[in-house]
Order: sequence, then C-alpha cells, then structure tokens
Amino acid sequence: MSTETKPKAELYRRVDALWTLVRDQFAFLRRDPLAFAGMLVVAAFVFLGLFGPFLAPHDPIEHTVRGDTGSVLRLSAPSLDAFFGTTAFGKDVLSQFLAGARPTLIVGLFGGLGTGALGFTVGVVSGYYGGWVDELLMRLTDLTFSLPFMPMALLLLTFVTPNIWLITAIIAGFLWKMPARVVRSEVLSVRERTFVKSARASGASDLRTMLYHVAPNVLPIGFLYTAYGVAWAIAAQASLAFLGFGDPTMTSWGRMLRQVFASGNIRVAWWWVLPPAIGIAAITTSVFLIGRAYEEVINPEIQTDQ
Amino acid sequence: MTKFQRFLLKRLAISVLLTLIAVSVIFVVLRLLPGSPFEALVTSGNLNQAQIDEIRAMYGLDEPMWKQYINYLGSLLTFQFGYSILRSQPVWDVLEPRLINSLILLVPALVTTAVLSSVVGMYAGWNRGSRLEKFSIVSTTLLRSTPVFITAIFFIIVFAYNLEIVPALGMRSIRATPDGYLETFVSLDFLHHYMLPFTVAVLYYSGDFLLLARNGVVEKRGSEFLKLHRAKGLSEMEQLARAGRNSMLPILTYFTLRLGMIFQGLILLEVVFSWPGIGRELVLAIQQQDYPLVQAAVFIMALAVIIANLAADVLYAYFDPTVSTSGGGSA
Repeated sequence: MSTETKPKAELYRRVDALWTLVRDQFAFLRRDPLAFAGMLVVAAFVFLGLFGPFLAPHDPIEHTVRGDTGSVLRLSAPSLDAFFGTTAFGKDVLSQFLAGARPTLIVGLFGGLGTGALGFTVGVVSGYYGGWVDELLMRLTDLTFSLPFMPMALLLLTFVTPNIWLITAIIAGFLWKMPARVVRSEVLSVRERTFVKSARASGASDLRTMLYHVAPNVLPIGFLYTAYGVAWAIAAQASLAFLGFGDPTMTSWGRMLRQVFASGNIRVAWWWVLPPAIGIAAITTSVFLIGRAYEEVINPEIQTDQ
Repeated sequence: MTKFQRFLLKRLAISVLLTLIAVSVIFVVLRLLPGSPFEALVTSGNLNQAQIDEIRAMYGLDEPMWKQYINYLGSLLTFQFGYSILRSQPVWDVLEPRLINSLILLVPALVTTAVLSSVVGMYAGWNRGSRLEKFSIVSTTLLRSTPVFITAIFFIIVFAYNLEIVPALGMRSIRATPDGYLETFVSLDFLHHYMLPFTVAVLYYSGDFLLLARNGVVEKRGSEFLKLHRAKGLSEMEQLARAGRNSMLPILTYFTLRLGMIFQGLILLEVVFSWPGIGRELVLAIQQQDYPLVQAAVFIMALAVIIANLAADVLYAYFDPTVSTSGGGSA
C-alpha cells in the first residue's frame, strides 16, 4: 500500500515544486523587458498558429484577388482590397501570412519538443551510467555532429516527398545532440552529489534514481534547450522551405519567401517579403531572448554553445 | 605513452571511424534515392540499349552494390571523385573553384567576426548591465537567431535595390571574364560584389563569438585571480585583458568548429546572393541528382567537420589540463 502511495505523494510534491518553479520563472520574465516582449511575440505567434488559417479572409492558394473591374490584381501594393497586397499570382498576402504561421508553429513546437526530449533522455542516461553506455551514446552524438545538417537534410528530403512531420523528424533527429551534451555534463556533476549517492546506497534502482533524483536537477537546462530547439527548428524549417524542400501542400512563411525570391519580385514587392520575413525573425529572436533571460537564472555559468 | 598521447590516439581512431560511418551513410542514402540521373537520358529515347549499357558501365553502375561501395571508398581515399554527370567534367574540377569561392568569402568573414565580436563581447561582459551590453546582446541575438537568408534579403533590398550601392547577385559582373584566381579576386568589381555577402556573413557569425566572450568575462569577473590583480593595482583595462585571455579557450575551440563548417559554405547565403560557392553547387547537384558531385561535396563537408571537431577536442585537452582527457573530450 504505502509503496504505491509514497511515490505518488512524492510525485505530487515534485509537480508542485515544478509549478512553483514555472511561476517564479514567469515572474522573472516579467521583470526583464526584453524577455517579456519576447513572451508577447511568442503568445501572438501561438495564437496565429492555432487560429491563423481560420482568420484568413481568403483561401491562401485557391483564391485570387480581383479589383473593381474584375481583373486579377497581380503584385498590387497594399490596398483596401488586400490589406497586405497581393502576390505575382494574384493571391492575398495577408491570407498567406495568416495560414503560413501554422506549419511554422507545428515544426517549431514538435521539432523543439523532440529535440529537447531526445537530447534530455540521451544526456541523462549517458551521464548517469557512464562507461560503455556513455561512450556509445556520445559517439552517436559525434556522428550527428559530423554529418553536416543542411546537406544531409536536403539529401533526405529529395529521397522522400517532404511533408511537415518528416521535416520535423529530420530536424529533431539532427538537433538533439545539443541538449544531449549539455545535459550530460550537468548530470556528471549532479551524479556526484550526496543525495544521489545516498539514494543509490539505500537501494534505489537506477531508473528511480535517474527519474527522481537526477532528472529534476537537470530539468531547467533541459527546458532551456527545448526552447532553443524550438527556435532552431523554426529557422531550419524556414531555410529548407526557402530552398524548395518544404511541404509542398502547405503555405508556410519560408515558402512565401521562396516564391517572392524565385519569381524575382523581391525587387519590388516589399509587401510580399516583409510579413513572412519579419514573422520568422521575430519568433526566433523572441525565443532566444526568453532563453537568455532564463539562462541567467538557471545557471549563470552556462555558456552559449552551439 | 603519456596520457595525452593515448587520448590523441583514441580520438584519432574515433575520427577515422566516424568518417567511415559518415561516408557510408551518404552512400546508402544516395543509392536509395529513387530515379537515376540517367533516366532523363534513357527515357528520351535517343539512346539504344548498347549506349545505355556503355554509360552505366562508365560510371560503374553495372557492378554489384558491394563492389560499387568498395570503389566508392577507394575513390574517396584517393580524392578521385569521378566524373560529374551533368557537367561532363571531373568532379574535382567542378568543386575546387566553388570551394575556393566559399572559403574566400567565409574565412575572412569568420576571422573578422572572431576578433571584432570577441573584443566587443569582452568589453560588454566587463561592463555588465551597461547600455552597450544590452544593445550588443539584443542585436546579436537578432542576427544569430534569424535565419541568414532573411538577413541577406533585408540587406539586398536596402543596399542593392533601394540605395543601389552594391550589386545584388553574383561574384563578378556578367561581362567580366577573369582568368585564374588572382584576376578573379583582385579587382574592384569583385570587391563591389563581395561587400554585401561579406557583411551579412560577419553579422551572422558575430553573435556566438560575442556571447561566448561576454559569458567568459562575466564568469571571470568575480573570481579570485582578478581580485589579486586588482589588489596589485592593475588598471581596469589591464584587468579586462587578463580576464579576456582566460576566456579565450572556448572562443578558440568554437572558432575551430566554425572553421570546419565553412567547408559547407553558407548554403542559404550563397543561394540568395547567387554566390558560386560549394553550398550552392550542392543544392544544384542535389536537384539534378548528380550523384558523383553530391557524394564528393558532402564527403568534403563531413570530413572538414570531423577534422575540425578533432582539432577542437585536442586543442581543449592540450590547453586546459583540468579537462579530463579520459572522457573522450566530448564534454
């Protein structure tokens, strides 16, 4: 009986502690104006990602904007017909911008979570066990470090038709190495602390020690790198889409930029360039600004290491 | 054998193994790609079966897979990358100039950034909480987190299209017909084309160095050895110099890693500026399924990264005796 409730009570306590931690971080972020601004941008971005496609006044691909005379408005500057202007194909830029937030959010969120979760697990296991497990896992990270990300991602995406989940998987599959290394080096120091040693001495299993004693102490670093993972994933997805290796069925900000660039209209159609470009720059920068504010709280000594 | 030599040997063996795995991964991925670069030739119907067989034999595609693999490894070892399918030129003849073009753009950019932003970063870290620190952190965070093609596009729009100070595309003007590297790179026309991509590359790289340097100095600021220096009566600047020198190691190793990545070119920057570098060539080769070219390019890129990783680890272990050399240097 007690063996069942005790871990549960312990878990509640930990969840509670975690919640307090989150609240404290939030309060901290509010004090840092840059991080706070970043948080607002992220909130707006999440809102766009969730509801953007519904808010879009027109279908981003099917609909063509027509003027008073009924002719298709191509490359027209922002006007009452189209607040953000139109593309070379007469599509509404505002609608594309609104709809394009979603793939960016999906890849960013899941790519970041995947990166963080994978890296965290590898880092904890590798650092905790040491020995050949560590050796094996670290050589695996070395391998992902030595395979250049962009070229390999491009190769893999010619091999299969790009779709958004595949892109997410490829990104996470390459980026987990960053949190893995940092978490591992943190675990190495946590492992030597008294409470971990005493837990093991009192007969706690490896899994239990890892879950209850080691993991919570490196969790903040894990969160931080998950956040960075989100920014990296968004940047990588936009870059791939810009090179023409994005999901062909979805409007994304990277794809919008590719179209305006490839069609040569970048010279004139600033209204077509600015929304997606500013969107991507704003979200990635915001995540990093929040990350930096966090970084100082969690561990003033940690270095920005990429 | 000393501990350091053992570490070196182990690290070298690992690097060789990693290279082998990396080239095998490239091989497998390329063979799994659907279609072949000859399909267009074959389906056009202009070739008869004998000619098709001849072409396939020329590229060794009629051999069993394991033999192709052995040949492939052999060709990489001897740097004989074979013949580019679409350019009808030996692969190395295609890649060499592209690689040089990338290096000529990125090496000076990287060195410039490493020096400039390290100095600024150290100064910012020393004056913690100052306006300069805040500004430098925000601006470099913006520049390093924004994908480089977006920065590049902004710069093109402002400086090439609106202010019309510099050309937006290419490395030389279309009418230039330089002969040899010297004539290509030593000219006003080249400089004119060079400025914009160079600036964007410098700005893009600047963030990491600045933050590394800043963090290093911030960390050293409260440490004991600086208290000693202060007690000795050294001026602020002299103290900063001491703190800076002590945070050089991470910057140095990071520089080495970046140097290795330069052999990939900066794919997105090169594409936006139509800079004929190795990264842009790779994108083109992938789109056209030019296997031998892709193989060689990715091999060069991976090899450079592996060597740079090795160098960074060794540098670290050599200069910082407190780092355990038994851990494989991967901390």
